[in-house]
Amino acid sequence: MTQRPSSLAELTSVVSEAAACAGALRLVARGTWLTGGARVEATAELLQLDAFSGIVEYEPGDLTITVGAATTIAELDAVTAAHNQWCPLSPWGTDDGSVGATIATATPGPYAHALGLPRDLVLGLECVDGTGKVLRPGGKVVKNVAGFDLVRLMTGAWGSLAAITRVSLRLRARPAVDETWVVEVGAAHADAARHALRRSATPPMACEEFAGQLLVRIAGNAAYVQAARTALRAVGDAERADDARWAQIRAATRPFRARAPMAEAVRLLDAGVKHAFDPANILNPGIMG
Amino acid sequence: MLERPAELLVYESDGLPGYHRTPSLAVFPASADEALAVVRELAAHGVPFVPRGAGTGLSGGALADGAVLLGLQRLKRIIDIDPVRRVARVEPGVVNATLTKAATKHALHYAPDPSSQTACTLGGNLAENAGGPHCLKYGVTLNHVVAAKVALPDGTVVELDADDGGYDLLGAFVGSEGCFGVALELTVKLTPNPERVVTLLADFTSIDDAAQTVSAIIATGILPAALEMMDQATVGAVEASIYAAGYPTDAAAVLLVEVDGAAAGLDEDVQAVDGICRTHGARDVRIATEPAARAKLWQGRKKAFGAMGRIAPHLVVQDAVVPRTKLPSLLARIAEIGAVNNVRVCNVFHAGDGNLHPNIPYDASDRAESERVHAAMKQIMQACIDAGGTITGEHGVGLDKLAYMDALFTADTLDGMCRLRDVFDPARRANPGKVVPVRYCRERRPNRQMVDGGGQMVEGDGGAGAGLREAATVVDRGGRA
Repeated sequence: MTQRPSSLAELTSVVSEAAACAGALRLVARGTWLTGGARVEATAELLQLDAFSGIVEYEPGDLTITVGAATTIAELDAVTAAHNQWCPLSPWGTDDGSVGATIATATPGPYAHALGLPRDLVLGLECVDGTGKVLRPGGKVVKNVAGFDLVRLMTGAWGSLAAITRVSLRLRARPAVDETWVVEVGAAHADAARHALRRSATPPMACEEFAGQLLVRIAGNAAYVQAARTALRAVGDAERADDARWAQIRAATRPFRARAPMAEAVRLLDAGVKHAFDPANILNPGIMG
Repeated sequence: MLERPAELLVYESDGLPGYHRTPSLAVFPASADEALAVVRELAAHGVPFVPRGAGTGLSGGALADGAVLLGLQRLKRIIDIDPVRRVARVEPGVVNATLTKAATKHALHYAPDPSSQTACTLGGNLAENAGGPHCLKYGVTLNHVVAAKVALPDGTVVELDADDGGYDLLGAFVGSEGCFGVALELTVKLTPNPERVVTLLADFTSIDDAAQTVSAIIATGILPAALEMMDQATVGAVEASIYAAGYPTDAAAVLLVEVDGAAAGLDEDVQAVDGICRTHGARDVRIATEPAARAKLWQGRKKAFGAMGRIAPHLVVQDAVVPRTKLPSLLARIAEIGAVNNVRVCNVFHAGDGNLHPNIPYDASDRAESERVHAAMKQIMQACIDAGGTITGEHGVGLDKLAYMDALFTADTLDGMCRLRDVFDPARRANPGKVVPVRYCRERRPNRQMVDGGGQMVEGDGGAGAGLREAATVVDRGGRA
C-alpha cells in the first residue's frame, strides 16, 4: 500500500499512526533515488511526498528561494533561470529528481567543489520527524546561527530522521559569461590536469573527467573567462562544447559510495540521534546502515 | 586553577556588557590531555561546566553561573599546516589571526574573520559558527571546518568528520555554543590568498540609496569579498577616534566594498561596482588598491565597536539578519525605534548578507536609559523577525537571545533542538541554560516514552555552589538515552 498525504496535517497523522504501530515507511518524492545507497527494509510502506511540491516563496532580490521538497531540480532551475539566477545544487542524477531528496541524501554535483555542497546551500527546512512533530529549523536568510543546527542534521540523513517537506536554498546570479569546454588531456594526466586547473589563477566553476577528457565550465566576466580559456589550452587541446553536456554527465553519474566503517563512539552518537528523532524506527529503517 | 573570588571576577563576563555571572572555579589545562582529564573529572562528579576561549563572544555564551569555567586558551598549538591539501590542524586555543599569520608563507589564509580576530580563538569560532565581513564570499566557520576531535561532556572522545558517511554530526557540532562538548583539535580549510584585492569606499547622502546599492551590486552576479555599511552615527564615532580612516563625516551612510580574486577581470568588476554606486546616488567613490590604503579604509570598520566607546561607557552590540531586500525598510524602522525610545543607534554591518549590527552606546549606571535601550532592542529584534529574518547571524544565542527564541521557532522545533543536545550531553552539564530556553526542553528518561510537559534542567541562577547541587540532581535523572 502507498500513503499519499496531501497536506502537512495529513502527513503528521500518517507518521504518528505509523509510529504508534511501528509500521515502517519508505519515503519517496520523485522516486529517482530508489536504487541509490543502502536498501530500505522491504516491508516498508511507501510514503509518497509528491504533494509537497511547488515554489513557496521566491524573492529574486534576496537570492534565496523556498520550495516544496518534492519540487524537481528541473522546476527549480526553470523558475530561477527566468530571473537570471540559479541554484548550484544541480546534483548527480537526473533533473527529474527532487530538491528534497537531494538535500536528504546530501548529493553533490559538479558545482559542489567551487560553489558548495548541499549542506552549504541549504538555509532552512520544514520536516516531520519520526514522532510526527513538525520541525522548522534554520530560516530563509543567508546567515543564521539561531539554535542548534537541525538543518545540517537533516541534510544527508537519508530521510531516516524526518520527512523533509520544504527547503530554503541559497541562489546565485548567473555569471555574465559562461562557457563549457572539452579538454583532451589523456586518462593518465586527467587528475593532474584537473588539479592544475583548480589551482590556477582562474579556477573553473566545474571540472569533471571522463574517458581522458575534461569537461570544464568557466564562468565570470569577459576578461576572466578569456584568461580561463588560456589556462585551459595550457593543459590540453580545448574545444567549445554544448552546455547540455552537463545534464548528460550528471544523469550518467551514480554518486553513491560504500560507507566507511565508523568508529564505535560515532556509531553510538548516530544511534542516539536516530532514537531521538525516530524512536520507533519507522522512517526509512536500515537506510543509514 | 583559580578559585579565589577576586581572581574569578575576571571571568564574570565576556564581550557582551550587562551580564555578570561568577564561576565556582576556573580551570586552564595546558594540553589536550589535561583538558580531557578535566572533562572526565567533571563528568565523574557530575559537575556542570562552561568551555571558554578568549571570552570575546557577544552573547553571554561563555558565562559560567556557579559552574566550572574551562578555559582553553592555553591549548594554542598549531599542530600542522598542509599546504598541498590546504588544511591546518590546530588546538582550540589558537587565535584566529595567528593561524592566518602562520599560513601566510604558503600564500594561504583562514577565511572567517570576525572583528575580534586578533583575540578570538578558533575553538570559540567553532562553538559560535563565527562569521565576519569576508563571509559574504567565503562562507562562515561551518564551511571551513572539515573535522574536529571532540570530548563529549561524559569524557568520551569522538572524531567528527564531514565525510564519515553517517549523520552530519560535525555540522551539528559547529555552532553548538559549547553545549555539545569541548573541541580538543580542529582541522580547518585554508584559502588561497587572492591574486588582487581592491577596496572601494562609496558615500551616500541617503541611507536608503546605500541600502538599494547593496542589492543592485549583488544582483549583477558580482560577489564582493565583503560589502559593509556604516551609518552617520558610526562614521562620526570612528572619525572622532584614533582609528580615523578619513570617512566623510557628513555622509548619511558609507559602503565599504571589497572585490578580490583573479587579477583577470577584477578591474571590470571594480568599474561595475563603481558605476552602480554612482548611478544609485553615491557622491564619491574612493578606490584603494595598495595594502596600506586598503588597510586604512578597513581600520575604521574593524575598530568601529571600539570607537563607539567614545560616545558612552557601555555598548550593546546587536546582531540580526533580514532578507537583503528588506534592508531599506528595516533601516528606516530601526531609526524610528531609536527615535521613539530616545536612544542612539549606530549601524555598522555586513550589508551584503543582510546581517545587521544595530549598536546602542549607553550608560549602564543610568537605569532609565538602560531600560530604554532594552525596549529598543526588543522592538528591533521583533521587526527583524517580522521581516522574515533571524535573531542572530553570527554572535550566537548564548544568554542574551534566549528571550527571542520562541518568537522565532515553534515549541516543537525548540524541543527538537533539545533532543539533539541530549544526544551529545544527556546530563545537560555542558554550558547549561544557554541557547534554548529550559522550559522548551522536555524531560527525557532512558528507555521510556517522551514525557510531555515542561521538564527542568540546570539553570544556574543560584550563584556559586547552587549550580553544583543542581547538577547532582540532573545527574540522578540523567544517563544516556
